[in-house]
Amino acid sequence: MLTSLFEFLFKYRPVVFQEGDFSLGVAGAVATGAVVAGLISVFALLTYLGVRGKTRPLDRLVLGGLRFAGLLVLSFCLLRPALVVSTVVPQQNFVGVLLDDSRSMEIQDFDGRSRGSFLQETFGAPDSPVLSALSDRFAVRYFRFSSRTDRIEDFSEMSFMGSRTRLGPALERARSELASVPLSGLVLVTDGADNSGEELTEALMPLQAQGIPVYTVGVGEESFQRDIQVSRADPPRTVLTGSSVVVDVVVTHMGYEGETVSLIVEDEGQIVSTEEVELPDEGQPVTVPVRFTASTPGARAYTFRIPVGVDEQVTQNNSQTALVSVEDRREKILYFEGEPRYEVGFLGRAVADDDNLQLVVLQRTAENKFLRLNVDDGEELQGGFPDTRAELYAYRSLILGTVEASFFTGDQLQMIADFVDKRGGSLLALGGRNSFARGGYAGTPVADVLPVVFSDADARPDGYHNFVRIEPTQAGLGVPALQLAGTEEESGARWAELPHLLTYNPLHRIKPGATALLRGVADDLQEDHVALAFQRYGAGKSLSLAVQDTWIWQMQLPLEDETHETFWRQMLRWLVDGVPDQVTGQVPRDRAEPGESVALTAIVNDSSYLGMSNSVVEATVTTPLGEEVELGMDWAVDSDAGEYEADFTPSEEGLHTLTVRAYDGDDLIGVDEAYFQVAPQRSEYFDAGARTPLLERIADETGGISYTPETVAALPEDIRVTGAGVTLVEEMDLWDMPILLLLLLVLILGEWGYRRVRGLV
Amino acid sequence: MVTRALVGMAGIAGAAALGVLATAGAGADIVANEPTPEAARSVAAPATAGLPAPAPVQEANIPYDGRFTFVRIRTDVSGGRGMPRSFLPGGRRGWGQPPWAHDYPRAERNLARILTATTLLNTYEGGSNILTFDDPELHSYPLAYVSEPGFWEMDEAEKEGLRSYLLKGGFVIFDDFGGPRDWANFEAQMMRVLPEGRFYDLSDLDPLPTVFDSFFEISDPEALAPPYRGGWPQYHGIFEDNDPAKRLMLVANFNNDLGDYWEFSDSGWLPIDLTNEAYKFGVNYIIYAMTH
Repeated sequence: MLTSLFEFLFKYRPVVFQEGDFSLGVAGAVATGAVVAGLISVFALLTYLGVRGKTRPLDRLVLGGLRFAGLLVLSFCLLRPALVVSTVVPQQNFVGVLLDDSRSMEIQDFDGRSRGSFLQETFGAPDSPVLSALSDRFAVRYFRFSSRTDRIEDFSEMSFMGSRTRLGPALERARSELASVPLSGLVLVTDGADNSGEELTEALMPLQAQGIPVYTVGVGEESFQRDIQVSRADPPRTVLTGSSVVVDVVVTHMGYEGETVSLIVEDEGQIVSTEEVELPDEGQPVTVPVRFTASTPGARAYTFRIPVGVDEQVTQNNSQTALVSVEDRREKILYFEGEPRYEVGFLGRAVADDDNLQLVVLQRTAENKFLRLNVDDGEELQGGFPDTRAELYAYRSLILGTVEASFFTGDQLQMIADFVDKRGGSLLALGGRNSFARGGYAGTPVADVLPVVFSDADARPDGYHNFVRIEPTQAGLGVPALQLAGTEEESGARWAELPHLLTYNPLHRIKPGATALLRGVADDLQEDHVALAFQRYGAGKSLSLAVQDTWIWQMQLPLEDETHETFWRQMLRWLVDGVPDQVTGQVPRDRAEPGESVALTAIVNDSSYLGMSNSVVEATVTTPLGEEVELGMDWAVDSDAGEYEADFTPSEEGLHTLTVRAYDGDDLIGVDEAYFQVAPQRSEYFDAGARTPLLERIADETGGISYTPETVAALPEDIRVTGAGVTLVEEMDLWDMPILLLLLLVLILGEWGYRRVRGLV
Repeated sequence: MVTRALVGMAGIAGAAALGVLATAGAGADIVANEPTPEAARSVAAPATAGLPAPAPVQEANIPYDGRFTFVRIRTDVSGGRGMPRSFLPGGRRGWGQPPWAHDYPRAERNLARILTATTLLNTYEGGSNILTFDDPELHSYPLAYVSEPGFWEMDEAEKEGLRSYLLKGGFVIFDDFGGPRDWANFEAQMMRVLPEGRFYDLSDLDPLPTVFDSFFEISDPEALAPPYRGGWPQYHGIFEDNDPAKRLMLVANFNNDLGDYWEFSDSGWLPIDLTNEAYKFGVNYIIYAMTH
């Protein structure tokens, strides 16, 4: 509106004034103009000053001023003022028009129609004024872009089916394709909802360097009136069969505050969990923990969805689907206990029926005397606690019972630390009379790994013990391993009912970066006891469970109670969760579209978990139709040791299986599988509001202008004035600007009116 | 498949330690603690010339503190057989003790010292706690010892308490009984507790159950002759789900009396070698209970 008014008064759009240089059309104009204006002004002044009669000095001043101003305007016009503007030569320059071809263009928030309809009307219809004006002035080249960018001949090639919006590559492709022709600018027509995760700066730099302006045309609403979106649901990529899984699902919405909706979890279409969610104030994300059990082995597609609400504008963003590899395999855990105690028997019994866990027990019953349970063969742990990394690293997790640090050699202590740090295993240190500070661990490498802080000063006399009530912390309430019931509330209530446990190891501080998950509370403790703490350390994780006897839960609760079994099964599953094998196949993005390249990765380690960059790695992709595609994987020079890469472009929709085999010479190091799903993507419907600030930034940084559907009509003329390419200098007269005529009329009529009012006519 | 193995050669050293301790006179001092309700019901037993004096009173139980504490079960006895429940004169062997208290407290004290000497078990060496099967406190101690189950009787609460204890993971040693009448009573009581249970003669199983090599290797359990009674010693047990591959819930030293060996290990009354063997059973039972 303001721009239109400006253009009406000043004849040209503001951009012409920004770009142009002011000049006067008369030779020697400045001097002549000054002399003429001075003479006229002096004459006018003398005339008015010489008048006598009934006028007051004020009247003479006003009338003199008005007349003087009028003469100045007239003088200005006579001097032929003009703007000298560099404009592009008609039909000798090119303009690249980049049209967003992604699915978000189907969202109907452009006056009740789809965003794509604006593109069609403005850049696809033959009678479009914008298109005509552009074609009159420029040679126009069209591109469509989404996850890839293609040159198109006409609008009929648009499909609005692209799976992603990648602005950077689109600009780069158009720039490079038009690099050999005089390019006035690029027109980017999009909602700006870039979901590529790529940095735009790199694409803008060459445009800035070459002085190619980008004119952006934004379409769509920045935020919807009514929409519910399941923004994020990231379950673990791999779990053991039967594991309890808690997934934090992030839900956002607009226009549904205070309403309660159901968040449903489906395993291949079968509902496995439902959670009621009360939606907070609009725009505010809410995180909903949902629990379910991964009971069916194999690659499972879990869907987290909220039924479509009344009047929702975007219905495709109400669900997220994630692929989870539910693995039915047996994970080995080494439990080393330094003395006979009931915890060994009860822990082993709690997980005995779990076919996915193999708890190998090494129990020191006397000096230099060990009892082994659940070993694979007579040689396993024959020499007691492992003294080589290869032997220790064969386990995924290590549970360290109550054993004094002096039992281990210095190398073994370092090996335990490396087990977590380098191998990526997990360590659980249990409380006891020879654990933590009482066991002399202060200052050892194991102490560095543990999530709690202790020192020799914390060691208590032999007789020290205390009973504590175990409570989950706020963080602990959300940890899957600590869920004792179906809901967080029920689980919290269950914890409150459990018998108290004994601790020999008062711990009160955790390390920075660690999280306290369970606390022990007792009336005679001034500070809460850190009963369970957790931290990530290097490639693995460590936990401390500083209590003596969780078996109390088994013995003192009713026979039918399963708390003890549940706790330990979940704890041990958590321990082995995410612990890598020597050979690991990975698909960083587990969903892709047909025709979209999928990056495949393999991590290969030797038995000490040092990356191997000289192994032979073979990858096989098995398609949904059973076809096996063999791929060689190469070590990526710019990546970490032992990381191999390959690309695969699927053509079929459905579940694909990646099988990775790594060899050291002729010896097979290991085999691993990973999965990815090929299907149309819906990421375009998430966070799909128009991103006007981003489009404005692109325009600003490249010297272009950003437009809306309401202002886009000025685009062709603006490019003519501001564009690059083959240009000529054009003088644009200003003397006939309506504003000058209006000003002159106002001054003359003002003088006349003043005289009338003052009776001087 | 479950594989077990012993590492190291502490067995021989342990046996030697047993011998040393068995002749050294362990468990001679008895210090009475604060009296308890149980103690109030107990009376001093008369000393018998030439024999070590039994405990004058039942000592107070100690609260659970994380250490292994031996628990002796106080049972009711068959009323028709004239046996007292509390510490009264005229017991079966004339020691003034009820059958459940035979060998108390010297047997458990000596065994506790052996445990400390041969294993790394954190053991309470002062004696034992005396509890009943229906006492909730029993569930703080997953191993219990019953003497003279041939005279044992239970009410419903005790029956339910024992059933729950065994199924939750408790382990019970029955000792000091023999003869058909004792067995009949013991079996009848156990069938009340575990009607679905089946007794296995552990010596007949091949391979021998883990309980016989959980610490010491006992290759021939029947080789240990009973200290005084006749009959061939047998070791019976009930496994979880009646599956010998699973956890042994109880062991019954039928036609034997390990408690006697433990009690008199410092007196010279019984052969050292046999006493050592009896200790091996006790240590094995306890280590087994700790690990299974």
